[in-house]
Amino acid sequence: MNNPHHLNPTSLKSRFTTRFLRALTKIRAQKPISSSSPTEIFRRYRRIKVAADKSMAYSVRSRRIWSRAMLWKLRSRSYRRQDPCSGRRSGKTNQAIMKKSSNENTTTRREDGVGFVEEADELRQLVPGGETMNLCNLLDETAHYIKCLTTQLFSPIGKG
Amino acid sequence: MENQFFVNAGIQSPAPPLHFGSSMPMSDWQSLSSAMEIQSQDCFPTPNWEKPTDYGLQFESALSSMVSSRAASNCNVSSESLIIRELIGKLGSIGNGGEIPPHSQPLLASYINGNNSSNTSCYSTPLNSPPKLNLPMVDSLVKEKLPPKGLNSSVADFSADPGFAERAAKFSCFGSRSFNGRTTQFGPKDNTEFAAFRSNPLAANAKLPRVSSSPSIKAMVSQGTTTNKNTPLQDRSELANSQEESIVSEQNPNGEPGLKASNSRKRKAVPKAKTKETSSSPSANASKVTEPNEASNEKRCKLSDSNGHENGSAKAEEDAKGDKANNTKALEPPKDYIHVRARRGQATDSHSLAERVRREKISERMKLLQNLVPGCKKVTGKALMLDEIINYVQSLQRQVEFLSMKLASVNTRLDFNVESLMSKDIFQRNNTLQQPIFAINSSASTFFGHQPQQNPALHSNMSNGTMTQCSVDPLDTAICPKLNTHLPQINQFVETVPPQYPTFCEGDLETIVHMGFGQNQSQDMALHSQNFQGSNQVSHMKVEL
Repeated sequence: MNNPHHLNPTSLKSRFTTRFLRALTKIRAQKPISSSSPTEIFRRYRRIKVAADKSMAYSVRSRRIWSRAMLWKLRSRSYRRQDPCSGRRSGKTNQAIMKKSSNENTTTRREDGVGFVEEADELRQLVPGGETMNLCNLLDETAHYIKCLTTQLFSPIGKG
Repeated sequence: MENQFFVNAGIQSPAPPLHFGSSMPMSDWQSLSSAMEIQSQDCFPTPNWEKPTDYGLQFESALSSMVSSRAASNCNVSSESLIIRELIGKLGSIGNGGEIPPHSQPLLASYINGNNSSNTSCYSTPLNSPPKLNLPMVDSLVKEKLPPKGLNSSVADFSADPGFAERAAKFSCFGSRSFNGRTTQFGPKDNTEFAAFRSNPLAANAKLPRVSSSPSIKAMVSQGTTTNKNTPLQDRSELANSQEESIVSEQNPNGEPGLKASNSRKRKAVPKAKTKETSSSPSANASKVTEPNEASNEKRCKLSDSNGHENGSAKAEEDAKGDKANNTKALEPPKDYIHVRARRGQATDSHSLAERVRREKISERMKLLQNLVPGCKKVTGKALMLDEIINYVQSLQRQVEFLSMKLASVNTRLDFNVESLMSKDIFQRNNTLQQPIFAINSSASTFFGHQPQQNPALHSNMSNGTMTQCSVDPLDTAICPKLNTHLPQINQFVETVPPQYPTFCEGDLETIVHMGFGQNQSQDMALHSQNFQGSNQVSHMKVEL
């Protein structure tokens, strides 16, 4: 049975799958599931989740606002984690920037004149990078984000 | 009816404000004529126009065609005078004849359009109305390109012409309608003078077909329909009308509050502020003109003021925004320009127009989202739909977390053959479920030890009901199979299994029923299921869908 859709090497699904597989193998290689402690499992879970987000964001590159925001978040997080000493400065600046931007965004209540402010705010919190978008772009990004999430869930890796 | 117009026109003072029913500004006429020259193409009345009845219509159509053709082409202003002279000649001949010989009309049409010989049909109707209108008008046009004062004089001339009054009335009624379908054929290259015209003709053209009530209009429409653009013609005529109106208002900034009032009254969609605006800066406004879309006009006025002539690109941008919004009465989608036209009975200030554009965009995107989110089609109302979307996104995110948790806990060897993994998509496509499918990993079979999965593609991970039960024997942490209903190899899943997996509310136990492991699996599954049952609490992950 030939399914040309996912045989397309450049499709979002294939890109995500390859990346995620690579990340998963790396994670598995680091710590084989020998120990069954919940903490270990939880840590692995976190890593896998980050890997999934990262793979998806990298598959989309910078074409989307949400992917850019997600990548930025991941990078800032990794910088902070990797270099706590010297990275403290950068981490602080990053945090400061993030906080400042988030504060600015949260304080600016976007009245788009269409009356969906509460729902729109909720959606902004769900979609990465949504705080900076107006309703129009937010809906666009939401559509693409939903599409990517479903791709993730239905990828042939153990997820689906 | 025509007589009344004529009478009124005659009574009209020479002052610009011809108080027609809809007050077609004389200056517009002039500008129209000047615009006519530039036309290279012809726009003919739409086929809808049934029968040309009067001279006014004829002339109107001629002018509109001229304007439209002018719009189509991008002649420079210098050729205006030439064309005008020619036009005058033609019109004069028409006027003299009393009734337009069929050939003269095509002459006029062809002249105007330059290329279209098929225009003759437009002007088949004899020019019944007095020819005087043409001559004085043409003369005035020739003499004074577009001086406001000159327009006044020409207005006086126009006022004398009953036919003109009639036409003005007809045009003015167009002006009040939306100009949907106005195209940007004119482009930014047009001079300021023409800019006004080109917008008008388009509008006029767009409106003409809608004015079905007027028999004369219908006649005009029926006449034409020659070559290509009915709608451009209509748009142009409309634009011409609106332009005329605006020009009139321009010219009467001080006086004629009555005219202004009438203009504003007549032009339902055209805001008064706009006319005042235009009147305040006639020269600049001449280029801008009369788009019933006040917002775009205002913007364009500013642009013209800065640039000296219409900024077509800016116009296009603004129009593009409103394009989707204004198509309630659009005849055709605009070609280059997308003129935002205020809908009938709606506010036309720039803010409301822009807001309407935004709302249209948002509703369009909501429709797209509706297709993505399952179960959203039944929901009516944007707020509820947004709630549905939010729930869906939340559920998807939680599903991803859930699955990554499973991946973390399950000690399965991943099959890194992407190809084989991808082939599972075949089943996924048939999967009517909205839940992710768990692939039976070949290594998963090692758990059971007894069932070598023949088909490596049929991978299904046994989901772990409880992630926290790490200490449980790996076999016990068997993941509950969520198999695709179409996996034939797994069709031996015993019916006994489903009752043993009531806790797997991920949900689709019925799928498990259809699925089957191998026969030899059934016993193992039963065994494991029992173990599973015993060991697993009901803390299965609930997948929100």
